[in-house]
Amino acid sequence: MPVLTATSRRELEVHRFPALVYALVPLAALVLQAWLPRVMGRYAWFDLPLVVVIYFAMGRPSPIQGTVMGCILGIFEDALTQHPIGINGVAKTLIGFLASSVGIRVDVENHTVRVLLTLALSLASSGIYFFVFRILLGLSLAWNWLDALLVAIGNTVLALILFPFLDRFRIRD
Amino acid sequence: MESFFVRYRNPLVLLALLAAQIIGLATQVHRADSGRMSLDPRDSGGVRLIRLWADALVSPPERILHSGGSSFSSLWSNYIDLRHVRQQNQQLQQTIDRLRFEQAALLEDARQGERLQRLLNFQPQYLYKTLAAQVIGSSGTTQSRVFYIDKGTADGLQHDMAVITPDGIVGKVRDVFSHTSQVLVINDQSSGAGVILETTRIRGILRGNASGQPQIVGIIADNRIKSGERVLTAGGDQIFPRGLPVGVVEAVARDPERDGFVNVIVKPYAALDRLDEVLVITSMEPRFPADQQQDMAESEAIKGAEVQQQEAQKKASAVMAERLPGLIDPNLPADQQPLNDSTPPPPVAHTVQPLHPDRFTPGNAPTDNTQPPAQGSPIQPRTP
Repeated sequence: MPVLTATSRRELEVHRFPALVYALVPLAALVLQAWLPRVMGRYAWFDLPLVVVIYFAMGRPSPIQGTVMGCILGIFEDALTQHPIGINGVAKTLIGFLASSVGIRVDVENHTVRVLLTLALSLASSGIYFFVFRILLGLSLAWNWLDALLVAIGNTVLALILFPFLDRFRIRD
Repeated sequence: MESFFVRYRNPLVLLALLAAQIIGLATQVHRADSGRMSLDPRDSGGVRLIRLWADALVSPPERILHSGGSSFSSLWSNYIDLRHVRQQNQQLQQTIDRLRFEQAALLEDARQGERLQRLLNFQPQYLYKTLAAQVIGSSGTTQSRVFYIDKGTADGLQHDMAVITPDGIVGKVRDVFSHTSQVLVINDQSSGAGVILETTRIRGILRGNASGQPQIVGIIADNRIKSGERVLTAGGDQIFPRGLPVGVVEAVARDPERDGFVNVIVKPYAALDRLDEVLVITSMEPRFPADQQQDMAESEAIKGAEVQQQEAQKKASAVMAERLPGLIDPNLPADQQPLNDSTPPPPVAHTVQPLHPDRFTPGNAPTDNTQPPAQGSPIQPRTP
């Protein structure tokens, strides 16, 4: 009787999507992230590209995919601001790698796990952003941790809605 | 060796990506004269290229979303939600009529001020050439308070042009692409606008804080600064023209970094987080729009008519004065005319009241034109 280890279990549950989903979902996340704050004003407490990075990274056994996706989305997010390009890039690269690494070891089909992971990774992303901006680059930045917490909660709520929706596009073996 | 790369390919890819981005970041910041690290105000070629790609990727869908949203809201507001519109229209018409009169008067003052400024060799800057633009997107993060508008170099926009609304200032154009531009809002931490408090005339620099509220930083504590005082642009930053409304003082907070200094929190007039349309000041040359020129012409016409009316009244007075008997004596020189005679009039002799009035007493005599006038009676005007 074969022993069902975490790795072997995850290898059986690799999430695959049509190529169009890999192209359109990150693009839609970027566009909506840029457009929705104009509609919602100061209450836009979420980071859609980060949620998308976490979702795709958790579903694949190779951390490279999550790392590269995080890097690209982070750089494009930076390009839409007036800040140096690479701050969000570094943060989301690390988050993509972490999400992939965690996704191999735990069962990410469980909603509670997904929610807790999204909350923790969102806070980690804010922390990395702050570290790169203030410590690594030495730039002045007034920081509000309450905003970071609200964004993490917003991401968690979005994950609860978005993850089951994206699961519908998964290719079943 | 091959097994090393295969075995550690995941962390190696991670390290390569991180190293590349950190090196890229290092090229985008520099140490300022003050010793602090700061951003390069202008992007290098590579960075600008990435921003261009991001804009090209995100702006077209944003335009579609924006036009779709605008069409829906237009359909709703123009065809469905029309309650009380007629009443509002009447009120607005009355307001417009009143404002047109006030505007004509104010324009006269403005022209006078302009003339006085020209006398003092100041550059007159009252009215500006502006371009309307629609907000189509934002940066998507609260750490960066910028937004995108649907006008770019093709429409004549340039770097550092002021962006305003009729309510107050909004920000400045930071980056310009062919059909879009990035606007840095005044409540961003990296923005800066020269402002002045209207009453106390205290000057300072306006920039955003962590919560996205604009504040005037580095002001020496002053008890005269009160809530509700208006804040205007000072005009010294070469971006915003002088005298534009910014907002009102909301609170005064102690500067945590420097003793004796305060930060003045400003409530902006413009709704910075809910902007739909903005105006970009494309030229600061003095210019009067067509409708204002028409108002000025009307004002001039009214003024000319008033002058003509006054002249006509003077002329009529002169004719009347000529015709009035006794006031002008043709036999006397001009300086001795009764109108111009400044000598005091001769004293009037008071008649003694008789104890027993008879028919010779003035006032009791019968009317008789043939009798000579009695002594001491008032002088009758001579007829010509």
